[in-house]
Amino acid sequence: MALTQVSSNKCAGGLQKVFEHESVELKCKMKFAVYLPPKAETDKCPVLYWLSGLTCTEQNFITKAGSQLAAAEHGLIIVAPDTSPRGCGIEGEDESWDFGTGAGFYVDATQDPWKTNYRMYSYVTEELPKLINANFPTHPDRISISGHSMGGHGALICALKNPGKYKAVSAFAPICNPMQCPWGQKAFAGYLGSDRSTWEAFDATVLAASYSGPQLDILIDQGRDDQFLSASQLLPDNLIAVCSEKKIPVVFRLQPGYDHSYFFIYSFISDHIKHHAKYLNA
Amino acid sequence: METHKGVSDRGGRTFQRFSVDTNESLHFEPCEDSSPSPTGIEHDEDNVFIKDENESEMTSIRNRLQGKVAEMENFAGHLEEIFLTVEENFGRQEQHLEQHHNDVLQTLSQRHNERAAGLVEEKKSKMEALYSQLLSCGQALDASKELIETAQEIYRTPDKRVFLKTVMPIIKRIEMFAKEKVDLTLSTKLDFETPQADLSDVKTMMDSVNAVPAPSAPVINPQMSNSATQTSLRVCWSLFSDDTVEYYDLYYRPVLEDTLADGFCQPHVSTVKVKETHCTVTDLLPNAQYELWVTATNTTGISPASEKALYMTVPSPPVIKQRECTSCPDAALIRWESGNTNPVDSYTVELSEMDTDGTQSSITESIVAVPTCQCLIQLLSGRRYLISVRAVNIGGPSDKSDAVYISTSGTFFYFLEETAHPCLSISEDGFTIFYGDEELPISAMALDDSAFTRCVAILGDLIPVRARHYWEVEVDEGTEFRIGVAYEDTERNSYLGVNGSSWCMRHILSSSRHKYEFLHNGWSPDLRITVHPVRIGVALDYDRGTLSFFNVNLEQHLHTFQCHFRNLVQPCFSLDNPGSLTVHNGIEAPEYTFI
Repeated sequence: MALTQVSSNKCAGGLQKVFEHESVELKCKMKFAVYLPPKAETDKCPVLYWLSGLTCTEQNFITKAGSQLAAAEHGLIIVAPDTSPRGCGIEGEDESWDFGTGAGFYVDATQDPWKTNYRMYSYVTEELPKLINANFPTHPDRISISGHSMGGHGALICALKNPGKYKAVSAFAPICNPMQCPWGQKAFAGYLGSDRSTWEAFDATVLAASYSGPQLDILIDQGRDDQFLSASQLLPDNLIAVCSEKKIPVVFRLQPGYDHSYFFIYSFISDHIKHHAKYLNA
Repeated sequence: METHKGVSDRGGRTFQRFSVDTNESLHFEPCEDSSPSPTGIEHDEDNVFIKDENESEMTSIRNRLQGKVAEMENFAGHLEEIFLTVEENFGRQEQHLEQHHNDVLQTLSQRHNERAAGLVEEKKSKMEALYSQLLSCGQALDASKELIETAQEIYRTPDKRVFLKTVMPIIKRIEMFAKEKVDLTLSTKLDFETPQADLSDVKTMMDSVNAVPAPSAPVINPQMSNSATQTSLRVCWSLFSDDTVEYYDLYYRPVLEDTLADGFCQPHVSTVKVKETHCTVTDLLPNAQYELWVTATNTTGISPASEKALYMTVPSPPVIKQRECTSCPDAALIRWESGNTNPVDSYTVELSEMDTDGTQSSITESIVAVPTCQCLIQLLSGRRYLISVRAVNIGGPSDKSDAVYISTSGTFFYFLEETAHPCLSISEDGFTIFYGDEELPISAMALDDSAFTRCVAILGDLIPVRARHYWEVEVDEGTEFRIGVAYEDTERNSYLGVNGSSWCMRHILSSSRHKYEFLHNGWSPDLRITVHPVRIGVALDYDRGTLSFFNVNLEQHLHTFQCHFRNLVQPCFSLDNPGSLTVHNGIEAPEYTFI
């Protein structure tokens, strides 16, 4: 459980740090970023977990999303892990950008050769929170989750699979129904095998249809000019239809002119942090 | 002996304390042998008790006697004063009588002299007239005697010739004499003219010897503060100390500017007869000016009237327009009707905070000299107040108006009913609007200038305070609505949200789903909401320039407009299909609304 500090930079009055540790779950060295707001110097703070999208490392979010000012204002710690195990020497892990390294899809793989290392779901929901709570001034019971694209999918399934664990959830351009889109089908087939019924445990739309637990409040922003939206990789309408039927509160905002990039995230990150702060600081 | 000493000590101290309060001559020295005994406490308890009782009884009797003495001294002093006053008055009265006596004597002797001089004059002229008559009578007598003698002489003449010669002239003279008439009546009256002496003034003087002089004009006081009520005036005046007055007549009449200007119908003058130098006249008009004056009367007569004084009755209490009062956590805007037909000088707004148990706290603040019929009052949030108003004129403040209850837990307002589209009706409690689907007759379309003509909308009457405001709107699932805020002068012939002067959330019901727009300038973000809100929180923050909407039941944020509101805005509500909509007011804004 030893943490090694990789970097530390003062940011928005607080500190933006990166640590490295030996992950038990993933059986490799993992990096994660943690932003400590000024409030964390004296008080315990709630934690927002950010799950990044395909190809990302812990760096993308902390360098491009511009979340730190709002996090400092609301006194939130933001933890941004990497998106997959790295350097495990699995054959084919670096062959494509949408599978393997940088594409863990936040599932616990059941198929060889992935099942030993590719346990990102357990990593982000169990190991990482324990690590964070042990090393930083947190309120362990006040956590929430958000993410982008594949990370948006990750955030949604983490919240839907663990009723009450996350006080709030939001997503930018999430992959809402991976079973129905090419990215998801490729990843799930690789990590979970060909039995589609096992995929359902990691599909937000399916999970939403059977969700029962404390009231959720899901905020989703989606760029209208997102190429992956038109390529039917994201499928937000499927999730919205289920949530409408199941009366799961979602505010889905289709933002005209925005694409899938961090420019889009940067534009609305403060709305999301405010959304999380509302429930984390309540 | 020791016991006695101990108790005396107590008594002695009592005397000493008592004597301090009274006249020096009544000073009681404590007995020499009742000096403090340090051992007093050790002695027989019963004895001490009885002694103590006797002593205290004596003390109380002594106290009473002291009181009586003081009273009697006081009384004696009073008597002395009265004696002096009587003596002084007697002396003055004596002097007055003597003066009066002298005046009467002087007047009488003057009358006597005047009368005597008149008589002498008259006598003289009468004598003169009689004398001259006597003289002329004598002359006539002499002349006739001489004629007779001449005639006799002629008659006796022996010589007939001479007789004949001389007789003719004599005959002529006799004839002439016979013709001459001698006036033998008295030319003056024997009586003296003695006109009836006019002694009435003397009589008056004599009468007034015993009477007091008529009083001089009393001096009427200007109006004292707090001496008037809505229908009565307490008037005071004073007399000169020398005057004796049996009663006063107080005259009063309203000063009616209108009727004076019209020049007709001088208001009726009323009179009250009073013995005191003050009077409370009643049954007056509120907030009216009265002209008052006083005369004093005694047995001798009536004084001249005093100067005319102007008094004013206090106004009727104002009437708070409950439906036009609006509040927020920081302030309240109270509006009222004057309650008086003519203008008053100002208004006083009084507020008292209510304690948590609902009783009215005695802590009262007043805002004085409010010139108009409304007042914006700064308040503390989360409190409850009772606010009332008084109208004030020169005569004083009116009674309190009925109080209005203000709770500063949240923002509170009613609809601006004059802005309502004619198809809208408002519930009795003033918080629900209905849009019926029946056709309206053309006559009902006679519109107020400020009424919406196209959009079936109405504005709220939000307090004009640039702060945070929060209210909630309850709708049915099938109701199509627009709710938000608009500038007060937002176009009445366009729909809410399609212009730059209104911001609203719009619900559109399509066959398949609920659709929501957040409209300003005719543009809305593209937004999907999975759970239809039936109770919508609206949070307006002037400082941040935000207008946010929430699903209250889920505490879910729906949308926030970012806009710097140049002008004050009013809540706006419209129904796009028949149905109803209810505003919930005075609600404390949930914490999440202003994150």
